[in-house]
Amino acid sequence: MPEEYVEDRDGMKIRKLAELRTVTDKTYEEAMIRRVDEFKEQKKDKSQFNDVIQNTFFKAFSTAFDLKIQVDKALGEDNLKKLHKALDEFLLLGL
Amino acid sequence: MYHLDDDEYLNTPYYRKTGSVCPECLEPIGAEVYEENDEIWMRKTCEEHGQFKDKISSSAKYYKWTHWAVKDKGGNVIWKFDKDGESNPPDCVGEDPRGCPYNCGLCPEHLSTCSLALIDLTNRCNFNCNFCYANVQKSGYLVEPSLEEIDRIMKHFRSKPIPAIAIMFTGGEPTVRKDFPEICKMAKDNGFKEVIVATNGYGMSRKKGGFEWTKRVKEAGLDTLYFQFDGINDITYEKTRGIKNLMAYKQRVIDNCRKAGLDSIVLVATIAKGVTDIEVGNIIQYAIDNVDVVRGITFQPVSLCGRIAYEERQDLRITNADILKIIEEQTGGKIGMENAWYPLSTIVEFGRVIAYLADVEPIEFTCHPDCGFASYMVVDPDSGEMMPIMEYFDPLKVIDFANRFWAKIKHKEKKQLRIFEDLLGDFGKTLDNGLNFLDKTQLRARFLLGVLQYMKKPGKLMEMFSRLLMRGDWESVSSFSYGALLLSSMHFQDAYNMDIERTKRCIVHFGVAMPDGSVKEISFCTMNTIHRPIIEKQIAKQITPKIKNEFDTTTGQAVEEIEQEIARNGGIKKEEEE
Repeated sequence: MPEEYVEDRDGMKIRKLAELRTVTDKTYEEAMIRRVDEFKEQKKDKSQFNDVIQNTFFKAFSTAFDLKIQVDKALGEDNLKKLHKALDEFLLLGL
Repeated sequence: MYHLDDDEYLNTPYYRKTGSVCPECLEPIGAEVYEENDEIWMRKTCEEHGQFKDKISSSAKYYKWTHWAVKDKGGNVIWKFDKDGESNPPDCVGEDPRGCPYNCGLCPEHLSTCSLALIDLTNRCNFNCNFCYANVQKSGYLVEPSLEEIDRIMKHFRSKPIPAIAIMFTGGEPTVRKDFPEICKMAKDNGFKEVIVATNGYGMSRKKGGFEWTKRVKEAGLDTLYFQFDGINDITYEKTRGIKNLMAYKQRVIDNCRKAGLDSIVLVATIAKGVTDIEVGNIIQYAIDNVDVVRGITFQPVSLCGRIAYEERQDLRITNADILKIIEEQTGGKIGMENAWYPLSTIVEFGRVIAYLADVEPIEFTCHPDCGFASYMVVDPDSGEMMPIMEYFDPLKVIDFANRFWAKIKHKEKKQLRIFEDLLGDFGKTLDNGLNFLDKTQLRARFLLGVLQYMKKPGKLMEMFSRLLMRGDWESVSSFSYGALLLSSMHFQDAYNMDIERTKRCIVHFGVAMPDGSVKEISFCTMNTIHRPIIEKQIAKQITPKIKNEFDTTTGQAVEEIEQEIARNGGIKKEEEE
């Protein structure tokens, strides 16, 4: 944390933040995984996190999503805009 | 601001008429909300008590953005932040001819359903904050519903066509009740998904037995602490609570929750000009440093009770826009006023789509755009630094897609596919169920793809977000929120700035068990501004000297606890360690 301070009218020192760094960026992921484990434990078979099919689906989906990010970067902004517009129309078609 | 920077709308002076109350006599009067010197103000005149003027927003630009509406080519509004909710049937007819807000109970004028049910468990408190309305010392009577009455209130909220999902216990200090663990269990047994306590941390902070007590309430069903947290400096608490060395007390709560596995704490900071506004950045960093247990921060601009002169009021008055400016300043511009925030009502249609597709109870944040704003902070996988979630995806595109999607499918919510039932009886009904399932599955796939096309960052958080979109259940919502830090603000109204348009859309409702066996459901701001003294007189109990002298409010400790401590220390009173 940078050593920058401001003082209030009573002379109280306050940290002036210039960045919002986590202790480790993994802490958030760990908190999320801990919560998932809690649901697994609490709800046993009723938890989606204990469902093999769903876990496999979301794992696969996540991998596909990572790929999509790479493709987005390769496409460039203009092409991406056109793609989004076309996809929007397609996904709303017939509803 | 956002996509409106070149829009003529931002250059047009803001003006609308609304209803309000006279801060002196609380009778209904008309009010005007208007723009002046890049700020938004309210003015109103009571025939008996004269003219009143109060600041609504310190940024006309931000305010106008939150009141922006999407119009079609014909100029008809097709979407706006300010919207009507799917309200439950009214509980009363509303006999007072003055209308809203005098008929609370709820009356047919209310436009939102309750997202968060509140029960005042007691007006006893170990603190004696000078601005607090609910305090046994000041009122001179005890308000404390019995277990049977609490159960009745819970059943009232859960039996509605759109039941409240979350419940919050308020006070006074709810954790001074010895039967508090039993009440948490009762809430879970009544079907509340999220059980929350608004607390200064009394039960969890006790040096003797605090940890065991925290563990007990967690096991009984308490999910979240809505934890009074004004800053990280003792001097701040001295100003706000009149108690010295309070940070050690606050830290003990965090530590005990951590040890007990109660890992959902929302820090609640009451923001007053020149008192706690300087702590905003500190609180954000404190939350990030304690991310294993802190899930979010709620900033509450102080609401002003009692008669306060105009000049003094302007010294104290702080608006949502001020909070946004302060956050931007105190985080070195990392959480920008112009790109990180949205009114809570932004995600209403988004939520409706998810609730419909996942067959879950909907949560409707149809409160007025002036009530509050929110943003999630998430970790940037590239830099490890926290950033607003808006940088993970294109929010306006996502919202726009969800709005259009909902407009196309909302008729299905009311009318399911029914093709074979009339022809083939029960077998046909089974076929229809199958068709409806297939229809929802294809809709889920469309919605998921439609939203995720605008996402920009990969990772575990996005996997959880996909689960949320597909399933919409509490497991997904809760797990997702553990991977992010929620920042929000809720600006409660007082008699000076009360706007009936806001009141009608309130989503935070008190439940009060009345002596005749009924339950009154009253929106938050009208309860505190108008109804509280009248209601409490009907349900008040006499206080005993024991209750009156239960706490030393200069230290926040129970007198009994202090006496035991003195006895243990050989008759010497020890001050709280720094």
